[in-house]
Amino acid sequence: MTIRVMECRNLWKIYDKITAVKDVSLKINEGEIKLIFGPSGSGKSTLLRCLAMLTPPTKGEVFLRDECLTKPNVDLNKARARIGFVFQHIWLFLHLTALGNVELALRHVLKMSKNEARERAMQALREVKLEEWAKHYPAQLSGGQQQRVGIARALARNPDIILLDEPTSALDPELTGEVIDTLRDLAKKGTTMLIVSHEMPFAREVADEMIFFDEGIIVETGPPEQFFTNPRSERAQRFMARLIKRTKRE
Amino acid sequence: MLTGLSTTLFISIFSFLIGIALGLPLAFIRSYGSKPYQILVDVFEKFFRGIPELVLMLLFYFGIGLYVPNPFKNAFFTATFVLGLRSAANQSQIFRVAIRGIGEEQMVAASSLGLSKVKSIFYVMMPQVFIFSTPGLGSEYSLLIKDSSYAFVITVVEIMAITDWIRKATSDAVTPYLIAALLYILLTFPIATWFDTWGSRKKKQLGL
Repeated sequence: MTIRVMECRNLWKIYDKITAVKDVSLKINEGEIKLIFGPSGSGKSTLLRCLAMLTPPTKGEVFLRDECLTKPNVDLNKARARIGFVFQHIWLFLHLTALGNVELALRHVLKMSKNEARERAMQALREVKLEEWAKHYPAQLSGGQQQRVGIARALARNPDIILLDEPTSALDPELTGEVIDTLRDLAKKGTTMLIVSHEMPFAREVADEMIFFDEGIIVETGPPEQFFTNPRSERAQRFMARLIKRTKRE
Repeated sequence: MLTGLSTTLFISIFSFLIGIALGLPLAFIRSYGSKPYQILVDVFEKFFRGIPELVLMLLFYFGIGLYVPNPFKNAFFTATFVLGLRSAANQSQIFRVAIRGIGEEQMVAASSLGLSKVKSIFYVMMPQVFIFSTPGLGSEYSLLIKDSSYAFVITVVEIMAITDWIRKATSDAVTPYLIAALLYILLTFPIATWFDTWGSRKKKQLGL
């Protein structure tokens, strides 16, 4: 049986001059991993932020399980507490240690006791293999470690879904591996994820479905094999060719 | 002289604390509040930054004190009150620069965890804003030590008042002022410098 975790219907995001997201509908079921990719500036990040209700969409509906988040008078803080979000530029809280970053929401959103929060936070740090770094401040960690703390921060609350906005693209190439490994572990555990990423080997390995996004619309969706062997749309063909060429160079 | 010194110190420290207690919320209202509140804060800041503290002290002590003697006829209270609000206006600006410097990202990250705006401000922004602001706060503290000398005009017995007595009693117009000057330097520099060093070290450690 498939259980819907997140869905958007006819989602639009219009800024003053540009329309970033145009009439997008997509659905993620429990345990699924979907991967969005496409040229930069195509509105992928905006879409993800609308889904997490970090930016209010202009039109359309967003659902988290059975709850419609785009209706008025929805407690968005409560909804966001059930959505994990990992940022491209990480955005850890600089004045808190790795542990403090992971603990914060457990203490002040989920209202756990000090001990309980600490235990759960340490467990999350263990999952990203950063237990020994718990007492370090973000500035004392490498980019890859920082992003793993970012992932631990997102998953510590046991969210219904984790949205990841290009989690490796701001990192030095030699640091992306450890973050990808962490994500692979999450995938094995059956975590529901929507990932914006251009890490193609990783996508091929874990994604149930890939979504090619360009100029604010979903151009093509399908299983990874479809994109790697024979993308239907011309735009996706051209983009895949460029990506594969780049990956080979690396 | 020692009583004068402690009075100067008390006026400055109390008004500094009033300044933090009011300045922090004002800065956040000015940054994130709705328009009418922002304008209100702006008017408050302009009022207390634009008018010389001497004028404010005289106004509150002799003017408003005439109609509301309790508490404004208490010179120590009025001096601390005026300097405290002036400092709140200054500190609000100092903190606002910090809020802008730290940027929207930390707020977005906090709200992505389900923290309300107020909690995000309290747990995420405030500690960073405070560390970010230490150089400004150090000089604000020095300013308060110096400006507390105006309290002498409304009869508060602080360093300047006592200096004046000694001058009158000894007919020496040089030595008492030199001693006062030395005391002011001793009160301002060590603390302001310590504040600055602590802040820079913390900032470096956190990469702020």
